[in-house]
Parts: sequence; C-alpha cells; structure tokens
Amino acid sequence: MLRMDTPAARPPSITRSLLQTLGRRARGSWHVVRLAATIVGLGLSPSSYRPPWRAPLAAHVVRAAWPLLPWFTVLSAVLSLVLIRIVLVAAVSVGLSQLALEMLVRVLVLELIPLAAALAVAVRVSLPGAAELALLRRDGALDSLRERGGDPLRGEIAPRALAALFTVLLLAAASGVVALVLAYLAAHGFSPWAFERYTRLVGQVFSPAVSLVFALKTFGFAAAVSLLPVGSALHDAPRRGGVEVLGGVRMFVALFVIEAASLAGSYW
Amino acid sequence: MDEGAAPAPAPQPPRYERRAALLVLLFVVLLAGSVLYLLFARGLFEPTQRLVLVADDSEGVTVGMDMTFSGFPIGRVRRIELADDGSARILIDVPRKDAHWLRTSSVFTLSRGIVGSPAIRAYSGILADPPLPAGAVRKVLSGDASAEIPRLLNATRELLANLTAMTASDSALANTLDKLAKASEKVEAQLGGRRGALDLMFGAEAPKVVAAVERTNRLLESVDALVKRADGVIARADDKLLGEQGVAADAQAAVRQLNTLLTEARASLARVDGVLKEAEAVARNARVATTDLGALRAEVDASLRKVEALVDEVNRRWPFKRDPELKLP
Repeated sequence: MLRMDTPAARPPSITRSLLQTLGRRARGSWHVVRLAATIVGLGLSPSSYRPPWRAPLAAHVVRAAWPLLPWFTVLSAVLSLVLIRIVLVAAVSVGLSQLALEMLVRVLVLELIPLAAALAVAVRVSLPGAAELALLRRDGALDSLRERGGDPLRGEIAPRALAALFTVLLLAAASGVVALVLAYLAAHGFSPWAFERYTRLVGQVFSPAVSLVFALKTFGFAAAVSLLPVGSALHDAPRRGGVEVLGGVRMFVALFVIEAASLAGSYW
Repeated sequence: MDEGAAPAPAPQPPRYERRAALLVLLFVVLLAGSVLYLLFARGLFEPTQRLVLVADDSEGVTVGMDMTFSGFPIGRVRRIELADDGSARILIDVPRKDAHWLRTSSVFTLSRGIVGSPAIRAYSGILADPPLPAGAVRKVLSGDASAEIPRLLNATRELLANLTAMTASDSALANTLDKLAKASEKVEAQLGGRRGALDLMFGAEAPKVVAAVERTNRLLESVDALVKRADGVIARADDKLLGEQGVAADAQAAVRQLNTLLTEARASLARVDGVLKEAEAVARNARVATTDLGALRAEVDASLRKVEALVDEVNRRWPFKRDPELKLP
C-alpha cells in the first residue's frame, strides 16, 4: 500500500524473467534429451565399437569400472550382510522367518543395489566426467577439436556417457549376485540342501512383471546417471556454482521419478 | 560423418582394450548366468503336468505361489481363471519328478492364515493308490483362520463385559469381598481375645465348652484309676489260672491221664477185634460141619433104603417070615 507510487513495470519484468528462465530450461532440457538420444544411438551402433573409436571407449570403460568394481562390490557385500543379519534376526524374533528371505531379496536386489550402484557411479564417474566436459567446453577445447575436423561427440562425450552406463549395469549385476549368495549363506550356512527351496523363492520374487520392471529401472538409473550430467555440462548456460550442479539436480530428480515409477509398477 | 577425414583420437595403451574386454566378459557372464538362473528358478526347464483345483474363492491366491506336500513345494500356480459356474479354477503345474506324491485319493486344501498369503496344501493318505493323472480336476477344501476372528472377538468382548461387571464397585464379587474383609477383621479381633479361636467358633457357648473339657479331664482321671485297678484284678486272675497250682496245670495233668486211658482202650479194642476174628472162624467151621451133616444124612438115607431093599429081598426069599416090620435102632 505504501509503495503504490513505485514503477508499475516491476511485476511484468518478473513474469518475463520467469518465462525466460523456464524457456531457457526447457530448451536446455530438450538439448539434453536430444544429446542423450544421440549417445544411445551411438551406443547401439556397431561402428562405435570398431577402431578408431574403440580405443577411447575402452579407456573410459576401464577408467570408470576397473577401480570402482572391487571396492563397490566389497562395500555392498558388507552392507548387505549387515542388513541381511538384522532382517533375519528381527524376523526370527517376531516369528516371521519364512518371510525374511523374500523381503531381503526384494529390498536388496530389487531396490537398494541398483540405486546404490547408480549413486556410486554418479559420484565417482559421471559427475566428475561432466565437470571435465564442462571445463573442456569452457576452455573451448571441444570447439577447437571440431574446428580441426575432429568429432568431440564420438571421441570425448559418448565414451564417457557409455562407460558410466556400462559401469552402473556391471556394478548392479555383480552386487546383486553377491547379495543373493550372501543371503543364502546367512540364512542356511554352507549347506547345499536349501538351494532348491531358495531357488524357488527367488523364482517367486522375480515374476515376469517384476523382472521387467527391475530391468527397466536399472537401465533407467544407468541412463539417468550417465547421460543427464553430460548433457547438462554441454548444453546448459554457464551459471554461478557451475553447470555440474544443475546436471546433478536433473539426475537426482530423474532417479526419484524412475524409482517412484518402478515402485508403482512393481507393487500396484 | 566422414571417419577417414577426422583426426584419430589420442592413442590409448593396449591394456585398456584387454581390461575392457574382461569387464564386458564379466558382465555378459553375470547377466547370462542370472537370466538362466531365474529361468531355472521359474521352472522353465522342468517337464510338468497340469492339475486343476476348483475353489469357491481364490482370494489371496497368486500366480507363482507354491503348492506344498508335507511342507515341500511340489507345484506352482500358473493361472487362475473364473469358470462358467462362478467357481475359481486354479491351474497348477506339478513337476513330473514330484507328481508321484499326488494320488487319486489325494486331498487339496486352501488355508488362509492371519498373516501371510494363503497356502495350497496336498495330502496323500494312501500312497499305494494310482497316481493322479495329468489334467486332473479336483475340488479344493478351504480353511480360513481369519474367519474365526469375528467370532473370537465377540467372545472376547463378552468375556471382557463379564469381567468388567464382576470387578465393578457395586458388583456381587465386590460386596462379597467387602464382607470377607469385615469378617476377617472380626476374626482377627476375636483371635486376639482371651479364649482365641474358641470364642470365634462357639461365641457365647465357649465357657460351656471349657467346662466340658474340664469335666472330660476329670473323667479321664477316674478312668485312669479304674484301669489301674482292673490291672491288679487281671494280675491275680493270671496267677490263679497260670500259677504252679493253677487251673491250667491241673487241666494239663487231666489231659495227660485221659491220653493214657485212651491208649489202654485202644489196646482193649484190638483184643476184642482178635476175639471177634476167632468167633468168625468158629462160625465158618460150624457152617462147614452143617454142610457135611447134610451129606451124611443123605448117605444114611441111601444106606437105609439099601437095608430096606435087602430086608425086602430076604423077606421074599425067607418064606417063613411074613412080617415086614423092621425095627430101627
């Protein structure tokens, strides 16, 4: 009321800037999605696995997965063992031991391990990789490579993204198998006689619908973790705090949406 | 995109390609192994036979759940469908290696617990019966534990109402407890009195009881004296009866004499017995003599007849004498 005499142009400028921001974000998102589709297309193309593009892809895969695989597998095994032990003891104490193993397989293999693998790859591989790309973009190295007739998409961008994607899948598969073995050993010890029953239980948990949702979810996590930070680093406008933060936020939102969708698909 | 014209990416050490190949191989092995294991776990590689269970209600039954026999899973629900008559048809795949547990006389139940999913169980009482054929249709018996809950709740509610009525402050139980408390106070007071429990039990009659007890005591004393006297009498009688000059000693001597007398009587009787035997012999001789006397008479008779015939002959030949009289001696 006291500021009735202030210039009336202020509210329209806020709306305009909001609209401009939204439009910029939408354009950025569209570029990110287009880049992601291009990278997936390159990943499905056999030429990406032939020389001369095989060498950079192999190098990025090894840099991403080789150091991460042992410690992530060990860490997830230890955490799985702790969780298995807690659930088994708690289930026995309330007399629901027959449900404990099924719950463990669902919670560990279907839910926690893919998410943990995606987050580990995001923290160790894809966010640092996106920061590298953002640095190359800011320094103009990508443009100079393009001017020299090189292909930054095939030489620098796609290998990073595909390596991160592969690493998520590899970590999820390895840790899932380890968790299944640990759950068996924790519940039955080193006895082969419960194998048949345990296999039956695993078969019951992995019904066709659940298996499909699990596969889609793991691929979704891998795609979100590997593609979104790279896309953000290349297409978002430079901003305070770096484009990596925006990529990270996009990635976490995508992970949240995928997890919610998979839960809805599995349990409704 | 002209790959030939583009400058080649920076050269990478060859070990990267080897390691990358190893990682890809590991991933492929893990993925293929997992897929095969899941297919095996879903029972894709084992031959099965179909069993159809018909239930009134298939609530809680899910595709993939087990049918158990003695606690061991021997079948898996493959499909659940609604039949034309409104009943639920549960289609179960039983692996052929486990199918021999099911017989034509097997019974199938669908039981629902309070917690967890329902369980389909098979019971084969007579394992010697013929095996269940493939595609057999059987009625499933339902047992519902949760159906008991409302009844149980009603019973519990009634029980609680009764309990509340019993424990209310104006209930019969509370009144009784009050009376008991008062009575126990009274009892405690009376127990602490001069005559203690006697006052409590007999009230105003307690002094009479005490008097009765005193009289009884006196009576007991007189009985005691009487017993002592009776003791003396018995001692004297004992002396008379069992002493050296007592009745018992006399009786013993008399018995001894009687014994001697009996021995002598036995000897006399033996002698009488001998006499009788001799008399018997005499009688026997007399009987023999009597028999001989008969023969003698017959001989005399015969001799007389001969003499008579001789006299008759002499008389016939003797003409002088016609007198046939014969004088016998």
